[in-house]
Amino acid sequence: MGIDLSFIAPELGYLGQGALLTLEVCVYAVIGSLIMGALVALARTSASRALRVIAYVYVDLFRNVPFIVQLFFFYYGLPVIGIYLDAFPTGVLALSIAGGAFASDVIRSGILAIDTGILEAAEVSGLSRRVIFMKIVLPIALRTSIRPLGSVFINLVLTSSILSTITLNELTGSARIVVSDTFRPFEVYVVLLVVYAALTYLISIAISLLHRRLNRDLGGAVS
Amino acid sequence: MRFTDFTPYDIILLAQGLGVTVALFLVTSVIGAVIGAALAIVRYYRIPGLVQLITFVTEILKNSPVLVQLFLVFFGLPAFFHVNVTPNVAATMTLSLNTAAFIYVIAVSGIEAIGRDQIEAARVFGLTRWQVLRHVIAPQAMAFAIGPLTALLVNQLQVTSLISVIGVVDLTKIGDILNLRTLKPFIVWTVVGLTYYVCAKLVAWLGGLAEIRLRAHSAWKGL
Repeated sequence: MGIDLSFIAPELGYLGQGALLTLEVCVYAVIGSLIMGALVALARTSASRALRVIAYVYVDLFRNVPFIVQLFFFYYGLPVIGIYLDAFPTGVLALSIAGGAFASDVIRSGILAIDTGILEAAEVSGLSRRVIFMKIVLPIALRTSIRPLGSVFINLVLTSSILSTITLNELTGSARIVVSDTFRPFEVYVVLLVVYAALTYLISIAISLLHRRLNRDLGGAVS
Repeated sequence: MRFTDFTPYDIILLAQGLGVTVALFLVTSVIGAVIGAALAIVRYYRIPGLVQLITFVTEILKNSPVLVQLFLVFFGLPAFFHVNVTPNVAATMTLSLNTAAFIYVIAVSGIEAIGRDQIEAARVFGLTRWQVLRHVIAPQAMAFAIGPLTALLVNQLQVTSLISVIGVVDLTKIGDILNLRTLKPFIVWTVVGLTYYVCAKLVAWLGGLAEIRLRAHSAWKGL
């Protein structure tokens, strides 16, 4: 009853296409959730009470509702109000919004950890608020919080497998098709499990390297 | 003729779905906690060989999508081992093991958070390793672990929504059914999403209460 994986060789090209699509979705979603996260973190740390409340409600809501429900909300809901999107943009949108909620918490704690002396110095120097945020606050917050951001992104990669439920044939979706071709679900899904684990392992190594590179001048203060 | 309006019976359907979700959540959390704690105890006794195996398996479980794990158990096991696996059994197995992997990490870090001096002092007094674990480590480790544990349980509640994909009629599946019948995605998914939200808040609230209770020994009593 041993595991024989030779049957999978002819399907590797197809699985590779799926992996590429997963990669593509994740790259867009990471960019989207970074932008979303930065904006929401800005709102949550702003002086305006209304903005803070709105941002808090957004984060609270999207962190406490299952991703698959959010995905169905967008996938079935958007056409009703006249927005016709394919599975791919819908998936990227949903992942960015959900990922943005998690990323914003991380970036927010990065912002709150900034020494207020730096901000006061920037204000005294006469920099505008936009320049202070873009050139001082965001770079510091992003580089100190790169490690927790990395685990948010790893989660994003794992969550992207759920997009197979809205007919997007990324890695998991293409594996389902391979299974229905070969009738070897156990072997295919074991391989898939290992592939995802390897993928997230590579990402975590990359994040560690990036973290060390970005914080090289802190002399090991942030390890 | 299609019957596309909402009926009072839909509320009963939703309640049934909620019942399945909550029941599975509770059962898998308890099984996961037992297995996770047992694995952490195995690590505490430093049984050679077993520790590496546990680390490998839990890392795989933590770093791969739950959806793929579900497919592996539901489609893979019956095909490979020629056993009958119903959706409910597959869901219970997968979610329990997944929860166990995360609880193992929390339990291990809880155990390791206790100072060596306390353990050494207890050993000097002639307590066995088990007595040290039971009377010195466990009460304090619980207080350390309850915060991360609550966060994990809130997350696992949302993960239960994935079992709808393999055909368990939980809250998400009921939402899917109602959505396909009424074609009112906004109403259906908002109701389903808010139900999950309320449940998640309830779990977080109960976790908060438990944390206050467990930390009572170190709370500030006043002068």
